[in-house]
Amino acid sequence: MKIVIIGASAAGISAAKTIKSTKPDTEIVIISKEDRIHSRCMLHKFLGHERDAQGISFVNEDFFEKNNITLLNNTTVIGLEPDKKIVKTHDNQDISYDKLLIATGASYFIPPIPGLRESKNVYGFRDLKDAQLLDTECLTAKNAVVIGAGLVGMDAVAALLERGLKVTVIEMTADIMSLQLDKKSAQAYQQLFEKEGAEFILNDKVVSVDVNAVGRGEMVHLASGKAVPADVIVIAAGVRPAFRFVEESEIKTNHAILVGDDLQTNINGIYAAGDVNGIAGIWPNAMKQGKIAALNMLGENLRYDDRYALKNTMNFYGLTTLSLGNINPEDEEKCDIFTREDRNNYQKIVIRNGIIQGVIMQGNINGSGFWQYLIKNKIDVSGINKDIFDLSFADFYGINQENGEYNYAV
Amino acid sequence: MKRIIIDREKCDGCLNCNVACISAHEEGSNFYTVNLQSIDSETRNFIKFDPKTGYTPIFCRHCDEPECVLSCMSGALEKDPKTGHVQYDETKCAACYMCVMNCPYGVLKPDNKTHTKVIKCDFCEDKPDGPSCVKACPKHAIEVKEVSL
Ligand SMILES: Cc1cc2nc3c(=O)[nH]c(=O)nc-3n(C[C@H](O)[C@H](O)[C@H](O)COP(=O)(O)OP(=O)(O)OC[C@H]3O[C@@H](n4cnc5c(N)ncnc54)[C@H](O)[C@@H]3O)c2cc1C
Ligand code: SF4
Ligand code: SF4
Repeated sequence: MKIVIIGASAAGISAAKTIKSTKPDTEIVIISKEDRIHSRCMLHKFLGHERDAQGISFVNEDFFEKNNITLLNNTTVIGLEPDKKIVKTHDNQDISYDKLLIATGASYFIPPIPGLRESKNVYGFRDLKDAQLLDTECLTAKNAVVIGAGLVGMDAVAALLERGLKVTVIEMTADIMSLQLDKKSAQAYQQLFEKEGAEFILNDKVVSVDVNAVGRGEMVHLASGKAVPADVIVIAAGVRPAFRFVEESEIKTNHAILVGDDLQTNINGIYAAGDVNGIAGIWPNAMKQGKIAALNMLGENLRYDDRYALKNTMNFYGLTTLSLGNINPEDEEKCDIFTREDRNNYQKIVIRNGIIQGVIMQGNINGSGFWQYLIKNKIDVSGINKDIFDLSFADFYGINQENGEYNYAV
Repeated sequence: MKRIIIDREKCDGCLNCNVACISAHEEGSNFYTVNLQSIDSETRNFIKFDPKTGYTPIFCRHCDEPECVLSCMSGALEKDPKTGHVQYDETKCAACYMCVMNCPYGVLKPDNKTHTKVIKCDFCEDKPDGPSCVKACPKHAIEVKEVSL
């Protein structure tokens, strides 16, 4: 059997690994528009000159040879013909498959703000290529403007500060990383970034960019009337699943490629895993989906049920935070909120009717993995008679007598 | 594969396993010289106490389907196909702590001093006679056994 995988990142590589360790004689072709494998979660380490391109790879250099996988890099898929079982590439190759996995992830989005799309010095922060282009800009640029203070934007800010640029961050909401943090935990990070030299303009948005005679944006204008000079601009205002090449096929999409619980599209034998199917936008979920889609392509009938995606960790300047679920509930949600603080920690638990809705652990995140299980599985903790901050897996301890694995006794 | 099998009833919370783990991962250290006050002293296994249920040993299971490996974005965590043990390569790790978040049993933690590494049971892979915690347990609450994958 020949399996073709489009996209060589979390979902695609995890699928290929799974296939090779399950049925090693399966023929695999991976098509990627990028030059080399890398983990985009480490792009800031590349741009900050902490690691080189191989240093941010998440597979060994001999991965493809050793596993006998064909990699067609620098190759972009431009169309599909499901009835002929063929993938079409930009360089006019027709690549046939028996089963197909679409793992093309997402790409960044430049909002239609006058001057922004036109400026040559506007970059996203998604692919190694973006980081390489920014790297070159950093050789001459002095002022950087980062639009969007989400996790991706803040990764870029950290790297640009590392390179000695003066960085101004522009964000529409009142706080940075507002999907993951509440005001207090966000401010802790904001102060750390400010100490490194970053400047924040919050509650404001970009309305236009002045483009100079050679096509570079040089002044960023905001709704408040402020203007910020820029030698280089990074846009981190969100991503969109990348599936343009299926638009002329019968594959069903909405804002993403639609898949069932088996991660198969509406077309038999074509699967989609990772950011491209819109279920989640984080690495662990893309890996797990790649694995499940791979096993299903090999004939299993597994369901992907780990749909919980409101989870993240962050680590800037040594301050670590775990963030899960709904951490900024509205009054009408009628949640109880518990907080606990000491010199090095800020902790918050949001709970409703005994079910934990959200958790922030900032500072000490030791052994905090069990919280996700409690939230994801809506475990009722109201019967446990102890301070909620002292919960641990021990309160749900179960063990499989056969093989010694743990399970949750709930 | 080999797994540390836990008998919770036998544990009486003496923490010899913690001391053995700390000392096993400290160059030239032993039970008598190990400095428990040092910020570098990190145990990879934990004993939780609750007045109702008593002591609960929380040790890495080197899971059949390790969530920590599936969450790792740098390739630092891998399940060794030969031993079945989940091993950690500090040089690859990006300290993103997705693995800490994803271990369902709360076994993993950042290192105390720098928050640049993960503290993870390595099954004392370099020690000829196996996990140091197991040898140190006077109650045989933890024992190495062969389990089928
Ligand atoms: C800067 C940054 C930091 C992040 N940090 C974290 C983090 O700390 N933790 C976390 O969990 N997640 C993080 N994420 C999110 C995480 O990187 C993604 O969820 C993950 O990469 C998704 O993997 P994927 O395989 O679905 O898609 P992607 O990683 O997007 O890979 C898709 C691949 O397909 C290729 N491709 C796309 N279209 C085509 C085509 N037409 N033809 C050929 N190839 C194509 C692309 O070039 C790419 O290589 C971060 C993302 C960014 C950008
Ligand atoms: S760290 Fe947690 S998830 Fe990983 S192998 Fe150990 S017990 Fe399993
Ligand atoms: S902290 Fe290190 S080992 Fe853990 S998921 Fe991140 S890169 Fe992998």
